[in-house]
Amino acid sequence: MRQLVPMILVLWLLGPLPTRGATLEELEDQVKALNEKIEQMKREQEESKKAEAEPAEEERRPFFQEALERVKVGGYGSIRFESNTLDEVGNTFTFRRFVLTTDAAPADRLKTYFELEFERFQVLEVERTTAPAEGGLKVQQAVEATPGSEIAIEQAWVQYDINDWLKFRGGAVLVPLGRFNIRHDDNLWALPRRSLVDRGVPVLPIPAAWPELGMGFTGDLAGGKLGRLNYELYVMNGATLDAEVEEIIQTREGKRDKLEAEVELRPGRGTAQLDTKDGKAVGTRVAWTPLLGQELGASLYWGRYTPGFLDDEKLLSFGLDGLFSLGPFELEWEYVNTNFSNVGDVATSIARVAREQAVEIEKVDSPDLEVEIEYELAQLAKTKHGYWLELRRRFWPAFLKNTFLGKPFENPQFVAVARWEQAFLDDRVTHVDFTGGTITAFETEDRWVNRITAGLAYKPTPLWAFQLAYEYTWTNRGRSLAEVTNFLPAKPNEDKAHAFLFGVAFGF
Amino acid sequence: MLTRRRFLLALVGQTILGWAKNLFAQTGVFLTEQEAPEAVFPEATAFERQVIKATPELREKMQALMGKFKPSIWEDAYTTFLAKKGGEFLGYAVIVEEIGKHRPITFVVGIQPDHKVHDVAIMVFREPYGGQVKERIFLKQYRGKSVTESFLPFQSVRSVAGATLSIHALARGIKKAAALVQAVYQEGKEGGW
Repeated sequence: MRQLVPMILVLWLLGPLPTRGATLEELEDQVKALNEKIEQMKREQEESKKAEAEPAEEERRPFFQEALERVKVGGYGSIRFESNTLDEVGNTFTFRRFVLTTDAAPADRLKTYFELEFERFQVLEVERTTAPAEGGLKVQQAVEATPGSEIAIEQAWVQYDINDWLKFRGGAVLVPLGRFNIRHDDNLWALPRRSLVDRGVPVLPIPAAWPELGMGFTGDLAGGKLGRLNYELYVMNGATLDAEVEEIIQTREGKRDKLEAEVELRPGRGTAQLDTKDGKAVGTRVAWTPLLGQELGASLYWGRYTPGFLDDEKLLSFGLDGLFSLGPFELEWEYVNTNFSNVGDVATSIARVAREQAVEIEKVDSPDLEVEIEYELAQLAKTKHGYWLELRRRFWPAFLKNTFLGKPFENPQFVAVARWEQAFLDDRVTHVDFTGGTITAFETEDRWVNRITAGLAYKPTPLWAFQLAYEYTWTNRGRSLAEVTNFLPAKPNEDKAHAFLFGVAFGF
Repeated sequence: MLTRRRFLLALVGQTILGWAKNLFAQTGVFLTEQEAPEAVFPEATAFERQVIKATPELREKMQALMGKFKPSIWEDAYTTFLAKKGGEFLGYAVIVEEIGKHRPITFVVGIQPDHKVHDVAIMVFREPYGGQVKERIFLKQYRGKSVTESFLPFQSVRSVAGATLSIHALARGIKKAAALVQAVYQEGKEGGW
């Protein structure tokens, strides 16, 4: 109000003065005009005050933009159609996986990265009711889930960049063994199935993607003309034999119905809580890039693989890998060798602790239902080793430039690809029997699996791939592929499989 | 007397001190705006800084010149430097930004008057992967290439495993810088592209 009074006076003085002889109507009009001017000035003043109190949209935006820039959500996934000569596979669609990724940089030196994987996953539903019933308490639980489903944290780490060559990283980190485990995203590859060494057999102690909880350092050393050296070095809880309990409920014609609990002791990811075994694992990979497009890597993993209640036995894995590129051609390869020390002693240890390999309720005590508890050692061999070799050629026919395959993409490509792979399982444990804490049978065998794959991928962008492939997998004559692979449910005499695959892998 | 132990201690000490000097020297920021033009035109003796507002008309012209390349970021304004050595005009240094996978990469592109790339240098790299593109061994392959090239992996530049998206971002950024030079400084001149 204080500001309005002088304004009115100024307007009065500056405004047109009523001329001598002006009529009353003219004076009224002039007063009305003055009032309108005052109201307009009032409005302008209020708007100006409001603008001072609230920053303009343009001024607010940088804060939100900055916040959005610090956290990025992405992901990748893949689906596949397969037509296989194995009776148990036939024609099938597989939801391979969907992985949600988040990376955040709360400050310049700080980074966090997270990957949550949904593999073969569609539904997981748990229903539980607790209520009094029939004079007691009834607890009912039902689990509904799609077969083979898995939800897992693939990576979850924090990183502090001290320098380019020294970055602290801690959390669930990918074990740097071989080149596939650390570059496992499906959309990076031209074939719709992962390699035998890393996934299907596997030679890697744990199938890729294999993370472990630990801490360590990573970094890059630029060596001028000598190229670049990248390293990762972590101390981790490490892979350990873990129990997987399989419950089987079976009705059988002419036999007693069966209720079985099969306890499989197999190498599994290390714990994310108290790791009570004495000793941690160490994993490292050094990769040298002497020239652009060429890389040579060497990796090592060493650690105890037995849990605290068994004798201390070590697992040693080493890998060699590389990438060689020349023009449109790329040759990528990996060799991994894994040695489980004293597998026989581990079996003895288990026998000592578990006492009986199998316990069964006799028919006289349970005439209608066979109840059995059985222990098994799975996926163990004295030595596992194998390699894969992948040759790729990228090309793009010019006549496709203006078709739906070429437009509007910057750099669409076709990738012709061929992969040859072999995996060897020396002294693979096939049967362990013990009673009264003593081993009564311990049988092993040597096995191998070969596979050849030829394919063609169309990549409209680097993050997407439509993958077409034919693969032929075979093992020792007359022996089942199911015994040595984790993806082919072959019958006892099925030693070979032909498959046509079509997959889509995507990223964003 | 220099014993073996003293010699080794001195050696280790020197190494640690040498490392410590660089210990906090590198973050995601590799060049400031002031250092950027010199990184791509080290032979220049003077730089004239200009800021060009990115009007809708300018963007339209640039996009027409860039063809199939679609920028992931349209900057509000472009900072350019005219590089000179004595009386000789060496070229334009243009600061641009393009998104790699999720985050923008800020870099400077040196363009000669004859429409060739003089050099490229990374100023700020923010992505968790693909940082190999900031190294000289990678960037030197852009030198001397005509701006009409695609700069895409497996076409006109060599690829690096794990950095494909960053290389695509550089390709878009170089195209954008070249389009800016053409639209602002060389429009109507002979020898345009």
